[in-house]
Amino acid sequence: MGLTDSIATRSKELSQKWADLILGTYPEQTQVVWRKNRDHFTNPVGSAILASTSELIPLLLTWNDAAAVARSLEQIVKIRAVQDFTPGQALSFVFLLKKLLRQEFTKELAARGELEELLRFETRVDNLAVIAFDLYVAARDQIARMRVDEVKRAHTNIVRRANLMKADVTAQKAD
Amino acid sequence: MAKIIKPDELLKSINYTPPAANWMDLPNDLSPGRFAYPAKQDKVEYLMHEIPGQFGNPRQWRPEDVDWKLPSNWKEIVMNGFRERLDKYRSLKLFMDICVRCGACADKCHYFIGSGDPKNMPVLRAELMRSIYRGEFTLAGKILGKLTGARVMEEDVLKEWFLYFYQCTECRRCSLFCPYGIDTAEVTMMARELLHLVGVNINWILEPVANCTRTGNHLGIQPHAFKDIVEFMVDDIETITGKHLNVPLNEKGHEVIFITPSGDVFADPGIYTFMGYLMLFDAIGLDYTLSTYASEGGNFGLFTSADTMKALNGKMYAEANRLGAKWILGGECGHMWRVVNQYMDTMNGDMQGPQMKTPVSPITGTVFENAKQTKMVHIAEFTADLIKHGKLKLDKSRNSDIIATFHDSCNPARAMGMFEEPRYVLKNVVDQFYEMPENTIREQTFCCAGGSGLNTDEIMEIRMRGGLPRGNALRYVQEKNGVNTMACVCAIDRATLIPLADYWAPGVKITGLHELVGNALILDGEQERTMNLRQEPLPGMEEE
Repeated sequence: MGLTDSIATRSKELSQKWADLILGTYPEQTQVVWRKNRDHFTNPVGSAILASTSELIPLLLTWNDAAAVARSLEQIVKIRAVQDFTPGQALSFVFLLKKLLRQEFTKELAARGELEELLRFETRVDNLAVIAFDLYVAARDQIARMRVDEVKRAHTNIVRRANLMKADVTAQKAD
Repeated sequence: MAKIIKPDELLKSINYTPPAANWMDLPNDLSPGRFAYPAKQDKVEYLMHEIPGQFGNPRQWRPEDVDWKLPSNWKEIVMNGFRERLDKYRSLKLFMDICVRCGACADKCHYFIGSGDPKNMPVLRAELMRSIYRGEFTLAGKILGKLTGARVMEEDVLKEWFLYFYQCTECRRCSLFCPYGIDTAEVTMMARELLHLVGVNINWILEPVANCTRTGNHLGIQPHAFKDIVEFMVDDIETITGKHLNVPLNEKGHEVIFITPSGDVFADPGIYTFMGYLMLFDAIGLDYTLSTYASEGGNFGLFTSADTMKALNGKMYAEANRLGAKWILGGECGHMWRVVNQYMDTMNGDMQGPQMKTPVSPITGTVFENAKQTKMVHIAEFTADLIKHGKLKLDKSRNSDIIATFHDSCNPARAMGMFEEPRYVLKNVVDQFYEMPENTIREQTFCCAGGSGLNTDEIMEIRMRGGLPRGNALRYVQEKNGVNTMACVCAIDRATLIPLADYWAPGVKITGLHELVGNALILDGEQERTMNLRQEPLPGMEEE
């Protein structure tokens, strides 16, 4: 059985293992709570992680729909973009899939002399990282934009009044 | 072909495990974005003069610097303040003693849910203070130290308090789940009071507090400017309805004084809600006045100290008395209603003038017995009563482009128990309404993550992660039911939910309840409406 077939057969198990590794990037006390609670609304981070990993592994196998890949990455990237992570830590979750694949398949493939199959597949994971990077930067840009917009909205009527007064002053000068 | 890396090298090459450490030993991370800017020196000086005994150590300082320029006896000041409050508030003593660390609250805080930072678990956040209580005030703690989870007050602890008691919106969702009923918001309040004594504070709270003390509202707008701004909205209403409304300001002898957060007057989209109020009052011919001094319903004193809250709240009754109003009608605000419902009568009830009476709706005759003590009625109750008695002519079709959900604001929900009235009003002005999931609404509602003076832009990331639970539930009804509008009854919500929705559920619009009422309301003698209060075309009028 080739690598992609093995991944496909074990898709559910691998999604869970990848999700476990991602949960491992959070403090221990937090992991305990987030592993226990499967509710989508009271544990949105835990459930987003599992949703993303479950969707992404099949998408990596078919690898023909970049938009779908981005959609499945978006929530987890947006979440990690506002958590206390450096950009590198935030996106490290993608590379944890590499770690997992190596853990699971290296020995077996090496024994068969087919290690390059893994390296070939890892190119897709690298591409996943690039897509995640785009989404991360878009999220950070949005945060910056929202800060500016919020300040403007907070003073709508004050600015309106100030502009009217400015118009008055200019009109008088023109006379 | 190049030599392929050895399998065991491949295996070891990726490692992102965070270091394991006891929470007491983790260093404070005071990098930008993790705290709100400190208060300006002149604001603290002004407040020290106006509201004595609450504030101290005015200076320029930066949380990211190692030296916070604390007074040399800061520890003594904080510990004396702590002791004083333990004596004064039995609740604080109880909250320090009775927590059994059962963990029921641990995963209930929106900041914890979104951040995964254990110090945002309410139990651990309170433990930041409890550990000091044990270490400094209990015998066991003094002798056994860390074994009992005790520690002594140090500068790093003070910094930790600053970081984490300003990552609590005092929303009280955790308290709902506490088997002992510990009100974690009150622990936060006490910690903030102690921090103020040594000049550790944030500007987003103290500048509005200073402005409120001086002019009556958060932005420091003076009466003439306030009047101009109200006139803008009267002009806008005329553009939309063809009717010029008379809005009494500072007029004596009216039955009702109307007080609302100033965000409704100055900020988009609160202004549309304000226009909705004015149209409602015109439609029913309410005998009311606004005040340019009680020009703020919000009370950031609640987020500062008990005495500050009391001082700022006093203007409500003072203006009701000066203008001779019989009762107060209050607008859509969150924390204002916690202050009114839970503290106002105790703090300032003795200020009520003899002219003040239990509120009675002049239109329906309904007696608001629930407001007997405070003499203050929530506008959602007032409007719901009007609709129930068939006193409003409403055209829902003007809101037919809206598929709405309702965000329960923390304070009206948990501090007031107001769940049905805003929903009743909403269902009478829009056709399509869907609830968010059960465990995210009503008393279990998730905070907007900008309450308690944290709706400032420099901590946008903190707000966004704290806003994830709300945004996630919103996204769910957006995808499932096509919800495109989230209504709310709080001015801070109207400001903070906009970026929250933009980030977590892009495409959902935020409105106040009375903006939607204003859209649907048919005024006597109005022209045919072609636009909503935002001056966007009404459904079916897009081509004109």
